Amino acid sequence: MERMGSLMSGRIFSSTIPVLLGVLGALIANFPVSFLGNLVPPPLLSFMPLYFWAIVRPDLMTPFWAFMLGLLEDFLSGGPPGVWAASYLAAYAFVDSQRDMLAGLSGVGALVGFGVAALTACASAYVIVDIYYWRLQPLAPSMAELAITVIEYIAAVFALGAIHRRVVGPLRSDF
Amino acid sequence: MANGGWKIARSRSGAQLPLALLAALAIALILIGKAQSNLFDRARANVTDWAAPAIQVVQTPLGGIDRWIGSIGEIFAVYKENLKLKEENARLRQWQNAAVVLDTRVKRYQLLLHAVPDPSLSSVMARVIGRSNRPFLQTMILDAGKAQGVKPGQGVIDARGMIGRIFLAGDHTAWVILLTDLNSRIPVVIEPGNIQAIMAGDNSSAPQIDLLSQNVVLRPGMQVVSSGDGGLLPPGLAIGSVIADPSGGSRVVLLADPASSEDVNIVDFKQKAELPPSVSPSDLPATAAGLPPAAPPPPLPIPGTAPGTAPAPAVTQAAPPSAAKPSVPKPDTVPAPAADSGNE
Repeated sequence: MERMGSLMSGRIFSSTIPVLLGVLGALIANFPVSFLGNLVPPPLLSFMPLYFWAIVRPDLMTPFWAFMLGLLEDFLSGGPPGVWAASYLAAYAFVDSQRDMLAGLSGVGALVGFGVAALTACASAYVIVDIYYWRLQPLAPSMAELAITVIEYIAAVFALGAIHRRVVGPLRSDF
Repeated sequence: MANGGWKIARSRSGAQLPLALLAALAIALILIGKAQSNLFDRARANVTDWAAPAIQVVQTPLGGIDRWIGSIGEIFAVYKENLKLKEENARLRQWQNAAVVLDTRVKRYQLLLHAVPDPSLSSVMARVIGRSNRPFLQTMILDAGKAQGVKPGQGVIDARGMIGRIFLAGDHTAWVILLTDLNSRIPVVIEPGNIQAIMAGDNSSAPQIDLLSQNVVLRPGMQVVSSGDGGLLPPGLAIGSVIADPSGGSRVVLLADPASSEDVNIVDFKQKAELPPSVSPSDLPATAAGLPPAAPPPPLPIPGTAPGTAPAPAVTQAAPPSAAKPSVPKPDTVPAPAADSGNE
């Protein structure tokens, strides 16, 4: 009975990790302190766990959590509400539809897969903001954000993989 | 980097319907946000107030690194920049002398005309505790809020010029929307020529100029200041200078650099401004030199009147009641400005 209880609490803990990492990413990325001299915009740190676990554990990263992470990004960044929520959902729909293909990628291919998903999110945000303000935005800041997000994913994916192997993965039982 | 290093869950999330529902909800949120733009604002202000101490703690050590990295590109141009600054400094010293002379002359004219001096703007000094450089939003967070009298709409300036305006005020923090931000549109005047225009940010470093009149040609180097139209911002705040836009039209190179601003002033235009000390007769050169005031000029004969009859002094009648105080000299008791202007 005691073992069952600890197993249950462990599973609950592991199931919250992907979302908690997304929340942490949003907090860090939107913390209003720059240490790069504002040369580049901050990366979409909350998108990295979203993409990763939408592929390997979609039961832990559902569309609802994608929506909530996007909403948190909107809230913390100071932008109009719903822009990143809709953009993350668009990227989630892409990942969900191409999941088998994206899961089979490795090396540079995995990075390209993430890049395409991040491009979906950034392009969606760009189009929504264009329509929202009814004015074409400069493309360069969005491209810089996409580039810095993809570059930082190289380091982040190893950390996410390690967390998945050591914490989230071992506690799953339904796959 | 491979995804194949661990077992992939084979079942899909099966969430097509929630996806569609959530997408509809997100679109609804965008529409509501468009109609009711302050949907998140109150909550954002509260979160910023709450997080301000943490932001300040983190800002201190990271600020140095931030400035160092931000100035990496400038290291290579230090020598050239130094020569340019020396030259500019020499030119500015000449302008300073001219400004001092002109200031004295303006004071004397004000005295002659009984003009009310320009009010000095009251302002609140604040420290920049955070900066956000997102693709669609460029903002700054200050450590002064409603408790210090900060209100949305007030202009924010640093030592060089205008930076932006307050768009959200919490109790102890305030968010500034920068002039370069997409949402920034302020009425400006371009000098010389008193050309009215709207300066609109587009998230690039140089905002665009939308001229209100089509028959105006802008030249690079013309100065841009706030116009004060609409009563939102005070007139005459220095903003920048005009440059040609390679893709057509004109843009403004800002005097202020929000990336390096640390202490700023929040200008309170609506609050009753503190008047500077009024010009006294001792400011006149003749009085300051210990000379007696010049004798009043003889009255000019008006056609149709007898030569010995002095006409009523029209200037004195038109002057406000405060001008009739005995301490303020009458216009005809001071020397003519043309007599002194030659000395300056």
